[in-house]
Amino acid sequence: MSRAARARGDVGPARRYSPGTFALQLVMTAVAAVFALPVLVVLNYSFKTKKELYLSSPFALPEAPSWDNYANAIQRLSMGTTFLNTVFYTVVSVAIIAVLSGAAAWAIARNKGKFFKFSYVYFIVGILIPYQALFLSIYIIGYSLRLTNTAYGVILMYIATGMSFGVFIMTSFMGTVPVELEEAARIDGCSVYRTFRSVVMPLLKPAFATLIIMQAFQVWNDYLMASLFVSSAKLKTLTVAMQALFSQQATDYSTAMGAIVMAVLPIAALFAALQKYFIKGMTVGAVKG
Amino acid sequence: MHCSPYERRTRAQYASLVLPGMLIFTVGIIAPMILSLRYSFTAWNGFSRDIPWVGLDSYRRIFSDPYVGDAWWFTVRFAVWNTVIQNAFALLFAVALDGGLKGNRIYRTVLFAPCLISSIVVGFIWLRMYSNVLPAVAGYLGLAINPRLFGSPSTVLAGFLIANNWQWIGYWMLIYLAALQSVPTELYEAAKVDGASAVRRFFRITIPMLAPAFTICIVGISVGSLKVYDLLVSSTGGGPGRASTSIIYLIYNTAISGRQYGYGSALSMTLIAALLLLAMVQLAALRKREIQL
Amino acid sequence: MKRTFAAGLALAMAISLPAAFAEGAITVKILDGQSTTDAGMEKIIDAAVAAKYPNIKLEWEIVGWGSDFQPKMQQYMQSGLPDIMIGKAQDVATYASQGVLADISGKGYLKNVLSAAVTSGSYKGKTYGVVFNALYQGVYYNRKFFKDNGIAVPKTQADLKKVIEKCKALGVTPFATHFKDGWSIGNVTMQFAINDVFSKNAAWGDQFRAGKVNYAASPEFKTCYGYNKLLYDNTWKDETFSLEQTECDARMVQGKAAMKVSGSWSIQNFLDVDPNFDFGIFPFPNQAGNSKLIYEPNITFMKSKATKVSDAVDKVFAVITGDSAMAQKIYDLTKTAPMLKGVSPTYKNPSQKDIDAYAAKGQLVDAGIGNNQLVWGGFQDENAKDIASWLQGQSTLDQALKAADARRAASKP
Repeated sequence: MSRAARARGDVGPARRYSPGTFALQLVMTAVAAVFALPVLVVLNYSFKTKKELYLSSPFALPEAPSWDNYANAIQRLSMGTTFLNTVFYTVVSVAIIAVLSGAAAWAIARNKGKFFKFSYVYFIVGILIPYQALFLSIYIIGYSLRLTNTAYGVILMYIATGMSFGVFIMTSFMGTVPVELEEAARIDGCSVYRTFRSVVMPLLKPAFATLIIMQAFQVWNDYLMASLFVSSAKLKTLTVAMQALFSQQATDYSTAMGAIVMAVLPIAALFAALQKYFIKGMTVGAVKG
Repeated sequence: MHCSPYERRTRAQYASLVLPGMLIFTVGIIAPMILSLRYSFTAWNGFSRDIPWVGLDSYRRIFSDPYVGDAWWFTVRFAVWNTVIQNAFALLFAVALDGGLKGNRIYRTVLFAPCLISSIVVGFIWLRMYSNVLPAVAGYLGLAINPRLFGSPSTVLAGFLIANNWQWIGYWMLIYLAALQSVPTELYEAAKVDGASAVRRFFRITIPMLAPAFTICIVGISVGSLKVYDLLVSSTGGGPGRASTSIIYLIYNTAISGRQYGYGSALSMTLIAALLLLAMVQLAALRKREIQL
Repeated sequence: MKRTFAAGLALAMAISLPAAFAEGAITVKILDGQSTTDAGMEKIIDAAVAAKYPNIKLEWEIVGWGSDFQPKMQQYMQSGLPDIMIGKAQDVATYASQGVLADISGKGYLKNVLSAAVTSGSYKGKTYGVVFNALYQGVYYNRKFFKDNGIAVPKTQADLKKVIEKCKALGVTPFATHFKDGWSIGNVTMQFAINDVFSKNAAWGDQFRAGKVNYAASPEFKTCYGYNKLLYDNTWKDETFSLEQTECDARMVQGKAAMKVSGSWSIQNFLDVDPNFDFGIFPFPNQAGNSKLIYEPNITFMKSKATKVSDAVDKVFAVITGDSAMAQKIYDLTKTAPMLKGVSPTYKNPSQKDIDAYAAKGQLVDAGIGNNQLVWGGFQDENAKDIASWLQGQSTLDQALKAADARRAASKP
């Protein structure tokens, strides 16, 4: 198998199309079908009316497929605003988390002093802290710092909660950055900052890719922080807006179905198209090739 | 060996790379934690102006509270099963979809897509799956099993394991896929030349090279499972009865709708302490293996 | 030349700005704890307020009442409450006792509100909330099914048992339930308690906290818990803990069950499935055979004590209570009963004739007699979980009752 093919990222160790492979193909098709079932059911429901939702079988196709649920969802969730807000918070927080945790992890990896050892443990401890349990305290602190109901406030909170896992992931990848390159740069007269920016960061691309993908999910799907810090209509996120559909005494299922499809499908499509780059991005070897 | 001014300055520069993140982290997470610690010594209900100090009473209460033990039991079982199942399947699927199958991209997308859905919605989807869709499927196929897993205390854990794994297997599979493709082909070729079988190559080369990915996945899955909350909110609400109440669900419920913020804070502190212990142990063990391999 | 012009413009704007404010672009902040049945109410109110007071702008924050209203209130009590809070009538007691609500006793707009509603919105003699509508709670029944099979509305437990037998003989599930929703168990238990406990002893909750009575030794509460078993034994046992409300209501409409212990919130669901579904309501029979139909004051507008736009809030309240067209729209939207004088909703409510009959005979009781004695969050909802565990065979009835006693201190509203 050529290295070029490997570098393309979508072919593994060479496999001839044997009976074993065929069996695997069948198995994975079955698995994919099972995995796709719930999403397909939701898709089916999203075109049905409320009445059909309750009365017809989940597998029956809609009698008169309509876009009503989608229209309702867009309107009730103010999808334009909430979608953009969520994108904005996610992109900004994740970018900052990536840079800050990359820098911190690298500094920690390259230094043996007490401060750095302490920092590592300090950050890692944060992974375990379940912030739902600290909800009121977080709000009190956030309020006293005037962070509530502001975009920068919620972004700051996302950074705070993302640092721990961020540092954890980045330190896992530190072994892939050869110290010799850094030392060479230092001998050439680069400052610590310059070395980080020009030498280390490019080599950490897979680490960043992994971190970005993982953190983006946390922020995108987050409910509690968003509801605490940006609950006003202008700043609301998509996840918080969707929650309004699931109230206790009556649930607007049909609109919810439309909302779910709209929240998921575009990103899934994006993933399908850019899959190669995601995986290649996270692959350490790709950079060397 | 003494620090030259140059070294001291370099050290300071490195430290400055750590500080911004540390500052934000401290303000956002550590400060609230200390505040909660303070509240854990009170019987504050979260509302009123007065905050009565009760010392260690809340902590003593934890030991005699039957609901705490039950919540821990559910959460731990959930976390352990999840870690095992999710890791195993994520790895298996990653290996299967590493290449050579037609339509790889579709399989990967289908497996990955569920993690794009927020947990609150996933809980709701599976609620309907168990109450409507699967019974319909069972009906078509003429099976006698009762697929209403959320309806009984004995099956509710299984119900959540299925829902949670459906949501996340694709996500961890991606990590493993990337790790698998990081393994240099030369290693495989050399081993093939030496006459190693596919199975041997898998166990001697692939698995050891995946060690860092293992660490990330195991820690990620176990910690995420221990913190399970959103999944429960729109599905069973911790029920039937209290059968699927996780420790975070219990804490949040007690602190907020139970209006016992002081007691809830004490519960949070013990949770954090327990998780800390667990993580220290886990990390030490995994990092050691990583180095060995 | 351009510079002076720009400077002049800026100066002009700066001078006119305070004038614009003085004329009054006032923003009133509202926290609205909604159920999905209320969704859209905010637009109706916006339109009505904008028509009368165009300079008052309402800034809405809408959250789900069940899960988010209280946490939000707790948050804002730390940082500053919004000007108007829309919750349920039981919130008046909770928040007035914390001293954060403005006393609106004697305000002109209260004259538009039914006196029963004013009482419901009061705490310790002072009024803090404008109660806007009410839900009715009781047993919804399939009127056509009853009529076609000659079943009379039961008044006593003995009557009820006969109805149950008749249903079973006809192959119809007697009760539609959705016990997956713990709040449903809590709700029906309180309905039972209102007619079996609080009707005899209105201060049961206070006595409970004083240690004079308890659940374990109370035959009345034992009976109330027992009614849950009656429902459980006569419903789709295998499914009720998986079934959620909309599904349950759909089945009721389809005729799969004959009765459902519920409240007006189900009406929207019933009519969504079949706008022609004919249903009635009767109070769940108690031991004495004299149970009353329960009304629950619902959407309640409260004013923050610390609001800086007190006049604007009063104006908004005046519009809400005074604009009959707007009120009617909201009643039609939410399918609830009015608490304002002289407003009749136009939506079709087949159970209205039953409600009117009970009202005429004076057989109505305010759900507050129970909810203001035993709080929901931390007490009623926890008891409901114990009941669920008991029904599923994980504990005994005695244990469930004792567990309620163990959380005595948490029952104070």
